Amino acid sequence: MSQSGASIAPDCVTTFNDLKLNKKYKFIIFKLTDDYKEIVVEEASNEGDWEVFREKLLQAESKNMKTGKVTKGPRYAVYDFNYDLAAGEGSRSKITFIAWSPDDAGIQPKMVYASSKDALKRALNGLAVEFQGNDTDDIEYQSVLTKVSKGLASS
Amino acid sequence: MASQPMNSSMPPNDTYGGDEIQAIILDAGYSSVRAGFAGEDTPKSFFSSSYGVTGNRTIFSDEDIHNPLLPELEIRNPMSKEGIVEDWDAATQLWEHAITSRLIRTKQGDPRKNGLNDVGGKDGVDVDMDAPDEEEKPLEEHPLLITETAWNTSKNREKAIEIAMENWGVPAFWLARNSVMASFAAGKATALVIDLGASTASVICIHDGLILKKSVQKSPLAGNWVSSQIRSLFGSVDPKVEVTPHFMISSKTPVDAGAPAQATYQKFENKITDSFRASEEERVLTEFKESVVQVYPGPGRLHYPHPVNGILNLENVKMSPGRVFEFPDGSNQMWGVDRMRIVEGLFDEKYALPTSEPPITKAQTIPEMVRASVSAVDVDLRPALLANIVVTGGTTLLQGFTDRLNWEISSLFPSARIKITAAGLTSERRFGSWVGGSILGSLGTFHQMWISRKEYEEFGASVVEKRCK
Repeated sequence: MSQSGASIAPDCVTTFNDLKLNKKYKFIIFKLTDDYKEIVVEEASNEGDWEVFREKLLQAESKNMKTGKVTKGPRYAVYDFNYDLAAGEGSRSKITFIAWSPDDAGIQPKMVYASSKDALKRALNGLAVEFQGNDTDDIEYQSVLTKVSKGLASS
Repeated sequence: MASQPMNSSMPPNDTYGGDEIQAIILDAGYSSVRAGFAGEDTPKSFFSSSYGVTGNRTIFSDEDIHNPLLPELEIRNPMSKEGIVEDWDAATQLWEHAITSRLIRTKQGDPRKNGLNDVGGKDGVDVDMDAPDEEEKPLEEHPLLITETAWNTSKNREKAIEIAMENWGVPAFWLARNSVMASFAAGKATALVIDLGASTASVICIHDGLILKKSVQKSPLAGNWVSSQIRSLFGSVDPKVEVTPHFMISSKTPVDAGAPAQATYQKFENKITDSFRASEEERVLTEFKESVVQVYPGPGRLHYPHPVNGILNLENVKMSPGRVFEFPDGSNQMWGVDRMRIVEGLFDEKYALPTSEPPITKAQTIPEMVRASVSAVDVDLRPALLANIVVTGGTTLLQGFTDRLNWEISSLFPSARIKITAAGLTSERRFGSWVGGSILGSLGTFHQMWISRKEYEEFGASVVEKRCK
């Protein structure tokens, strides 16, 4: 269980396994339900363009439970990230976990996402890399490529 | 920081009568106690951690502990220099007062005994005065979440749950690490938390919501230390600055900068104790910290040449305008580069001003604590920590602090990407861990986390070690 007590919907794991084992998806975006009780799959897609994925994170919203105010929202995501190694040494694929929590999101959603993250991460077996993103630069393709490949990718 | 009582108002009515439980969050530090309802933005009850003792009376009140007319009033503090509870009896009473006086309705006394119903004046013969009267405890309807430091002892943790359960009768209890709460409130499960409070500065690495024990660094270079630096400066300038607290002044007339004060002083019949005087002086120093003291923001350190033009930074600063401060007795003067020398020791031990305490060491400075903390964790984790630095605690509100911190950490780790998150709102910075606890305690899902009274009764106080990691 997470530190917030939020639980994981079973389809989080099955969708993740479809991405990992069956290569059915390129990425999955997870969200907390509006009552912040459960983590569910918001979208699973085989769209290969990073920018489309990034835009989805940037547009994500969350609602404050008490006031109903809508702000930018955090999300979790898993991305099947492929890159070529420099010097033609072949390509690599890394299943990457992203905790996206924009600095301008509301403090309540930020808090709930941060305190529920470990539970989702533990439920998903086979993550190769993970990182936290808090501003738009953090999820730019180049910066993610450097992080995921530890600087070994050809650009 | 100065303690101002916040508005005391009743909890919102919309939750009354519903099935919603109202948890109370208690965040107690060396200088203040913050208490309030889960789900709110700021703690409704903000109390000084100091309390007074006069004769055999103990006083918990933000007003009366500043009253010079109370005979031989001594000011004490239940917390140790490291920000953990030392005197549990006093802490229990102080916290209970902070909660009951501002948050929950005082329970009405038994109508048979409270004197309001004594109509006939015949001693109420028809009332059975010996009726069993289960004593009501103050928090029977409210789960309680207390924050604690990373270095709190097991004994203290067990004591906390005992008091909550036995003395206050809470239905459920939780202990949360204040650094983790501050990190969550910034939206980060992994972070390097730099917290400067009144008594203690700490640097702690947090990974996936758990404190990495080996990374915990702490030192006394925090608010109270800055106060001692100010005193050292006041003693070394010519003429010396004597801090005369507000209560001693009966009237003052304006004087020119640097001129001696022209004030008439109060006379007191009763003895003014040293601890009372020190506590009142501290209020003046707090004002001085908030309005004059400034951290040299970088680049470079105050006593070194500027990296671009090669001139000593100290000289550069001398050319910028100073700040005027008027003391309670009306004397006033301009504070130039001295306003930065006071806090240079936070970063550079060689330039700390001499005090009666033993000199500080390099290892106690903020940059060295960051270095030691980060070095204690796995190499692979370091980039994520340095890119997620959370700054919290009242003393980090010193002007220029985060700019300088950024410069210092960047020069320690030149190839790393450094990003510092510091809440812009003063309240979020001062109450960072309270706000974190407030949100956690208000979550619908959190009810399954609480340690229930039943669990406590079954397993005893040691349950807190098992459950609150």
